[in-house]
Amino acid sequence: MTTPILVADQLAVRFETAEGPVKAVDDVSFSVRQGEFLSIIGPSGCGKSTVFNVIGGLLAQHDGTVRVGGELIDGPHKSIGMVFQEESTFPWRNVVDNVAFPLELTGMARDKRVERARHFIRMVGLDGFEKRYPGELSGGMRQRVSLARTLASEPKILLMDEPFAALDEQTRLLLGDKVLQIQQQLQQTTLLITHNITEAVQMSDRILVMTYRPGRVKRIVEIDLPRPRTSDIVGSEAFGRYVAQVWSDLREEASRGLKDEEEHMLHEAQP
Amino acid sequence: MNAAARHAVSRFAPVATGVACVVLFFCVMEAVIRAGILSEYIVPPPTQVLAAFGEVVTQEHIVRRFFLTIGECLMTGVMITVFGVAGGVLLHRYKLLQQATETWVAALAAAPVVLAYPLFMVIFGRNAWTIIMMGFVAALPPVILKTIEGLAGTRKVLVNVGRSFNLSASQQFWKIMLPAALPTIFTGIRLGLIFGLINVVGVEFLINYGGLGQLINDLAERYDLPGTYAAICFVILVSVVFFMTLEKIERWLRPVN
Amino acid sequence: MAATGQLTTAPARGGVSAVTALRIGLIVAALLIWEGLARSGWLYRDVVPSLFAIARAIVVLLTGGEYYFHLGVTLGEIAAAVAIGGSCGVVVGLVLGANKFMARAFEIYLYYLGPTPKIIFFPVMIMWFGVGSGSKVALGALSCFFPVALSVAAGMRQIDKVLIRVGRSFRADTRQMITKIYLPAMRHPIINGVRLGLGIGLIGTLLAETKLSNKGIGFLIINAYSTFDMPRMYANLIVLFVIAIGANALVGRLGGLDRIKR
Repeated sequence: MTTPILVADQLAVRFETAEGPVKAVDDVSFSVRQGEFLSIIGPSGCGKSTVFNVIGGLLAQHDGTVRVGGELIDGPHKSIGMVFQEESTFPWRNVVDNVAFPLELTGMARDKRVERARHFIRMVGLDGFEKRYPGELSGGMRQRVSLARTLASEPKILLMDEPFAALDEQTRLLLGDKVLQIQQQLQQTTLLITHNITEAVQMSDRILVMTYRPGRVKRIVEIDLPRPRTSDIVGSEAFGRYVAQVWSDLREEASRGLKDEEEHMLHEAQP
Repeated sequence: MNAAARHAVSRFAPVATGVACVVLFFCVMEAVIRAGILSEYIVPPPTQVLAAFGEVVTQEHIVRRFFLTIGECLMTGVMITVFGVAGGVLLHRYKLLQQATETWVAALAAAPVVLAYPLFMVIFGRNAWTIIMMGFVAALPPVILKTIEGLAGTRKVLVNVGRSFNLSASQQFWKIMLPAALPTIFTGIRLGLIFGLINVVGVEFLINYGGLGQLINDLAERYDLPGTYAAICFVILVSVVFFMTLEKIERWLRPVN
Repeated sequence: MAATGQLTTAPARGGVSAVTALRIGLIVAALLIWEGLARSGWLYRDVVPSLFAIARAIVVLLTGGEYYFHLGVTLGEIAAAVAIGGSCGVVVGLVLGANKFMARAFEIYLYYLGPTPKIIFFPVMIMWFGVGSGSKVALGALSCFFPVALSVAAGMRQIDKVLIRVGRSFRADTRQMITKIYLPAMRHPIINGVRLGLGIGLIGTLLAETKLSNKGIGFLIINAYSTFDMPRMYANLIVLFVIAIGANALVGRLGGLDRIKR
């Protein structure tokens, strides 16, 4: 068994609100092996984006530790590349300049970084669009640019926060294929935060199901579907069984979340 | 400290710091001037200005002046509302006219119109009408532009609701478009009133006629330094209160934002 | 600003669109009415001078060397005013936009002191900087400072937060964050702030010149008034407006040179 490349140990995050402290995440521990695809799934409000920010080093106030390759994280780690949920391409740069951004920061010479950027642009299937600006591209294409940009920094761990949440189902399935293809080609260790069960089962080796707030690890499901995979498996029987299994865990948490929200709104509406 | 108290402190700390800094600034000024580092003939000490405040209020017919300036602003306000909204409605109704002239209106907004005040003095004389007309010309463009924006921005679905009830064009305008546009129109009027006040007071100062603006000019020509400073502060105060009032009114008109 | 829907109306025969035709029509009508008023004698003499008198005055103005001296003085004052007021505004705006505490402490003063008549400070400026160009530049800078500071502060806060997180996730240092993320993301508010600052600084400087000066365009205007040389006053005003509107359009065009949609 290979030693895990990322270890999260007893992560806990508390936020101060006007009504007092709220525990967003409580005692979350897991590890990720090299080359593995791990999804973290949970209902809205389970703190999965909080976990994303902690691992990405953008949230300093937390209990527990995160280690990458044995090193403790305190700020964005050079081995971790992040892809955000929202539109994050720089609208003032064209595609190739967007993708070359991390290389520019390291001081790489222009010719070299354009060449490298082109390689990743091709990898996400956007060759021909190098000189275009994000404003001229569709939502799915912009997310591909963001992905290429992160891949260009060649991170040991790819950390993604619901990157396809804003896209329609069909685009999502196709982009999921693309990501799978890339992950398999690069043997890229990937950590995907998502609320979409089909997406999680389609792409992952393991799925970590979180509870509603305060977020804890409810269960870790091993997905034993053959690799290499494509979106074709979406119809298979084994696929259906895994989805049902994850949903039965998730449904409980999701209804708790819904009820909690409704009570909250009732409270607010009272004079 | 519990969470609620901590929250309250974090809300008030910056505001308190700001106020404290302002007070500190005036104390430092007072000390520096009294020490002679800064000549009191260039900057009077703040306490002297405060004292002059009282004199200015009692001796310079401040109430009459105040109402004169406000009266001019009011006249300007009425004129820009009537002509501005009418103009905006007209331009919205006749698209061709809008396309032809909208950029002109925007250019007028950007142009230094107030510099034509000597011209207006020739036309209207050195009196209140110059002041009012100057305010009017400077304040008109935002009202027109915001009226157009408000009418054009009526959500398509609301227009369709009207059509589904077979409303006539006139009903559609009065019952749907105009009410929907009112918040934006009022924003335009508010902007116009602000430009109006600035130009009214400014022109009063420049042509040495009128209410508060003229007061400053007067005191400056008399070399009454503390008085001049006090009058300037008073006008700024009036201006700020005016602005705040307009904001309150606008927020009342547009509660959900 | 209302959206200027520049629809493409199909050009009529002869290649002139309806919009252009209407514009020309309006301008011609206005000129005819003007000339009619000028010749009618209804108004006090020369309040509305004949268009030819005005045109002649413009030619005399632009061909005489003296105008350019005054123009130079004014442009110099405006440039200095905008440079000083604008740069102070940018610095203050950056601080207020970046730091929530500072913004909550001080921005409210800028916000409420902004929309006030600054020309009334002119006597104070004369006291501090003398009767020469100094007081004009000071007044222009004072006028220009507030809108620039407020625009820049607002612009900083409107930056799409995710872009900042992208920069941090790639571990960009402070200099890289400022030059590669903050400034490009703020190009629209900065350009608009500069336009506003330029327009307001111009007005402030020129008004000060009309009040007390013996040089500059403002002086020429008030001088024409005091000698009741109306065609000359109109000429000065027209040339000034053309320059001001032209400069404003130029800055706007420079800001829109990019193809960026956001």
